[in-house]
Amino acid sequence: MDLEIQKGQVVGFLGPNGSGKTTCIRLILGLIRASSGTVRVNGYDPISKHVRALRHVAYSPELPNLQTFLTPTELLSLVSHELGLPSSSNGRQEEIRRVLELVGILEYADMKIAKLSKGMVQRLSVAQAMMGSPEVLILDEPMIGLDPAGSAHFREVFREFASQKGGTVFMSSHIMSEVESLCTSVAIIHGGRILYHGKVVDVIQKVLDYSVVYLEAQGLTEQTIGKIREIASVSKIVPNGDSLEIIVQGHTDVRPEISDLVVKSGAKLYSIRQAENMLERAYIEALSKTNPGQRTI
Amino acid sequence: MSRPDVILSFMRYEIKRAIARRKVLALIAFTVLLDTLPYYALSTAGTTLIPGSAYPYIWVAGVFAVQPLFLNFTAILIAAGAMSEEYEQGTAELLLSKPVERNDYFAGKFLGGYILFLTILAFNIILSVASAFTFFGTQFGLEILPGLFLVQAFAALIFYSLAFMLGELVRRSSLAYIFSSAVFFSSFIISAYMDLIYTLTGKTIYKTIQIYLPTSPANSLPIQYASPLLPQAVGIVLQFVGSGNAIVPTFDLSVTILLAYTIPAIAIAAAYFWFADISRKIS
Repeated sequence: MDLEIQKGQVVGFLGPNGSGKTTCIRLILGLIRASSGTVRVNGYDPISKHVRALRHVAYSPELPNLQTFLTPTELLSLVSHELGLPSSSNGRQEEIRRVLELVGILEYADMKIAKLSKGMVQRLSVAQAMMGSPEVLILDEPMIGLDPAGSAHFREVFREFASQKGGTVFMSSHIMSEVESLCTSVAIIHGGRILYHGKVVDVIQKVLDYSVVYLEAQGLTEQTIGKIREIASVSKIVPNGDSLEIIVQGHTDVRPEISDLVVKSGAKLYSIRQAENMLERAYIEALSKTNPGQRTI
Repeated sequence: MSRPDVILSFMRYEIKRAIARRKVLALIAFTVLLDTLPYYALSTAGTTLIPGSAYPYIWVAGVFAVQPLFLNFTAILIAAGAMSEEYEQGTAELLLSKPVERNDYFAGKFLGGYILFLTILAFNIILSVASAFTFFGTQFGLEILPGLFLVQAFAALIFYSLAFMLGELVRRSSLAYIFSSAVFFSSFIISAYMDLIYTLTGKTIYKTIQIYLPTSPANSLPIQYASPLLPQAVGIVLQFVGSGNAIVPTFDLSVTILLAYTIPAIAIAAAYFWFADISRKIS
């Protein structure tokens, strides 16, 4: 497995269940030993040189099992001791307050973790990862259990971490829309191997040999639809009421050509846009290429 | 932050974790019962088995009565879950994903649990003396208590270490309790059988086996320490609570056998912890 990640990137680590995402993360964190090969983090073996390797690397686990008998403040205090954060009690309290505020659970600071909801626990898990000054955030399914507002807030937090603080985010996720909207690049793993890696748009183009255009207009005639179909790169049109899903071979942008046809036909054009969530299509396609019999995520 | 500070924070964490499991509260409740009810019963019902001359030393009854069973079992209850419960609940993963030495985590867990055990041991001694004073008046020979505390603490280390090791090896708290208790009770029962067979046959091999069983030095050491320092009349009190004679012939041999069990147990647990993967939540 060979994966190079530049500083300041937000990388989506994708793959089906059992593909090796979490194993890979646990290898990086020195929680498990590699059966073959070597792992180096910051140039150090994460097991024998655990402290050096993981200095400035923070981790938020999938479905975190936090110490339910502690309060968020107590857990973060323990983490701050582990990290060797500000030796003064005031400095530590300030840092705890900062991260709790950052993830939006300051008001639950002194409630037992056992009493927190799943979403709150997820927020706390990210809070403990944000303690101190991490340079790399490794997040295993960080959006699980979050409500839409929480997801949006976390996207902002991670974006800011990468863009303003120059941090690197490496996150595994099954929520493709989240990954597509947040990540600057993705890596698709399957069977312990990296299938594709690169900028989101590059991976999509590498995997998919088509793009999708959504057209919404009133007064579209069969004749106009026929003319759109005649455009060389258009391979398929799926009508749906007043809108069309147009499958375009390759990645040429045919929107000006199509809108020109629609306007000239006298139909009212409301919108024309490239389809979003192409990452999900690319992801499914990438996996089906590896294993033609299996097309589901 | 220095490594001792990190170890200290893990120790505090382990104490808090063990207390949260509530078994410590149960152990304290047992200690209170064991150290008060027998004294009350003895003082009200009276007994001809204990001469009046032994009353000023009646505190030894409470301190020694718990040694064979209660103290060793307390050590097992605390130690067997120290590592295994963290794996079962999946909480070890988060703590060990931080830039901390595994050895510091290990040391913090071991020492934290042991300090908790020492606290219960101290509570047992204080309560025994207080009960003896309340029901039988002024007590003597208390100057040996600090030394006796250390000896009892050291003696219990054998089952504490074995249970700690088993907890790390099997990584299931219930299995660790069962295996540790099995070792403890088997040793106890086999010891009784060996003693009986030795008495009947006179063959020293049976006595030797009995001496080297883990319960023998654990129970002998406190008696070997205290007996020479207390008047002879106290021997009757010790007989009364079933701690009359030391099985192991000498104090030094008891120490040697204790170390022979304790050091490998700690070393095996540490080696396994170092080389094995940190498992995720075990259900």
